[in-house]
Amino acid sequence: MRANSVSIKPIEPTPSADEARPQSHGDKRISTPSGDGVSGRGRLVLKNVSKNFPGSTVHALRDVDLVCDPGEFVVVVGPSGCGKSTLLNVAAGMLKPDSGAVSLDGQPIRAPGPERAMVFQDHGLFPWLTAAQNIEFGLKMAGVPRSDRAARVDAALKLVHLAPKRDLLIHELSGGMRQRVAIARALVMDPAVLLMDEPFAALDAQTRTLLHEQLQELWVRTRKTILFVTHSVGEAVRLADRIIVLHAHPGRIRREIKVDLAHPRNFDSADITQLVRTVRKEIEDEVNRVNAEMAETYWKPQAPGDLGADPGVMGDGI
Amino acid sequence: MIGWKPWLFPAPSHVLDALLGLMNIHTGFGEPISSHWPRVILEPGQHVRALAPWWGSPLMKAILVSGIRLLEGFAISVAIGAILGLLMWRFIELDRFLGPLLLGLQTLPSVCWVPLAILTLGINESGILFVLIMGSFSAIALVLRDGLRNIPPLYPRAGMMMGARGWRLYYYVLLPASLPALASSLRTGFSFAWRSLMGAELIFVVDKWRGLGFLLEAGREFSDVAQVAAVMIVMVVIGMLADRWLFAIVQRRVQTRFGLAT
Repeated sequence: MRANSVSIKPIEPTPSADEARPQSHGDKRISTPSGDGVSGRGRLVLKNVSKNFPGSTVHALRDVDLVCDPGEFVVVVGPSGCGKSTLLNVAAGMLKPDSGAVSLDGQPIRAPGPERAMVFQDHGLFPWLTAAQNIEFGLKMAGVPRSDRAARVDAALKLVHLAPKRDLLIHELSGGMRQRVAIARALVMDPAVLLMDEPFAALDAQTRTLLHEQLQELWVRTRKTILFVTHSVGEAVRLADRIIVLHAHPGRIRREIKVDLAHPRNFDSADITQLVRTVRKEIEDEVNRVNAEMAETYWKPQAPGDLGADPGVMGDGI
Repeated sequence: MIGWKPWLFPAPSHVLDALLGLMNIHTGFGEPISSHWPRVILEPGQHVRALAPWWGSPLMKAILVSGIRLLEGFAISVAIGAILGLLMWRFIELDRFLGPLLLGLQTLPSVCWVPLAILTLGINESGILFVLIMGSFSAIALVLRDGLRNIPPLYPRAGMMMGARGWRLYYYVLLPASLPALASSLRTGFSFAWRSLMGAELIFVVDKWRGLGFLLEAGREFSDVAQVAAVMIVMVVIGMLADRWLFAIVQRRVQTRFGLAT
């Protein structure tokens, strides 16, 4: 393993940041220089959270209880449309839950903020800024002095192995590099939690595997609490300490599965393969149920003969 | 030379002659038969150096006058258009009311504002500016609004996630994100403004301040088809150059930066 020389310092609390950092944990807030310590912050609690979108009869989320312990890697998995992203957006403060409470280290979450950094599926990097400037953005907003910013941006770039690409514009980077910049942009803020919304879904399989390895390495090194959302069981098993299987319509927690495999993991090991099989079985029923439901309401594949008009007479009625 | 009527359809040489004539360069291009052109025509006893210089010519003065009017009017028009575009983007209710109205205004040819301008403001500079502004601000507002609507909602979300709030979100995220929209609205707005200005100058004759439109109209009054054609060419060339060499380049830069250029 690489020497753990890179550490990301916590942001100094500034008067401009209207969401004060949890002061009660001030003495415990260690800037984990190596991967073995747990920072003590980053306890994300969702309590009885329900969310209903206007105009929709089903609950996107209903009575979801979820606690992410500091330094834990939690992966939420479920079929598409089951409310995974809603869950993450509620945790990020982008969406207000209809009922229930969301808190981070005892502080209720009301608005998006840098202590809950999010990595989006479509990276959400600013195309008018270079990779380094994108990473710097959050520090600039937090009022970090220019001289401190450069060092921290460099550290973050090194963390994702993108130091040579620092001055490239976003569209000049590959898909995988963009996600790494997005991760660096989140980490440079020294967030208490990292929220990841299917960050690797749009990448090709090889890049995804590479990023899985890098993310594991990053996590081992920084020990951030990570709440990761995906629809891929394989991804969940590879990365997670704990897998939450979400039920759809209404969205609620169906099962929790502990993954007791040491990090970093060998993705080809028999353990992983076995576990993937088990978990896939768990959610297969769920996926099938949802798919059947969707098919009822929207579209049903039909046999060619049932399509109505005989292709031979197509256009005759015109 | 059967049926050739140069006073109806000027030969290119006539047009060139008129163009150069407007620039104080007098040639023999326009003469029906000339064995020794180009040349400078001198009055008896006149010296070449005594001729009025090209930069003091009617054409240059007209371009200057029209250019100043354009800058003035376009600046006001951009300000109005940008504010309206922003408000319409921000407040959907306002857009429901103003959107169709501005779209309607856009279909109205800008010279249709001339009678109103003459009656309310009189035949003066403000009348010309009024026509110019009315002819171009709606296009700017609409193009800007549409461009702003195309900003991916992910940008403000990402900005908020990184702690940008209030004016900082506008200044550091939404403003740069709207640059492509701004660039194309300026480009569209400019061509509208130029057209409106030329139309207005054609009708408004403000003494001492003679723009390109005035030269065109003067050509008509003296039945000088060559001058009419020459001034039209100048109008087209100026519009084209401004678009090509200014706005297109700005737009291209922005698009390259954003990775939108093909």
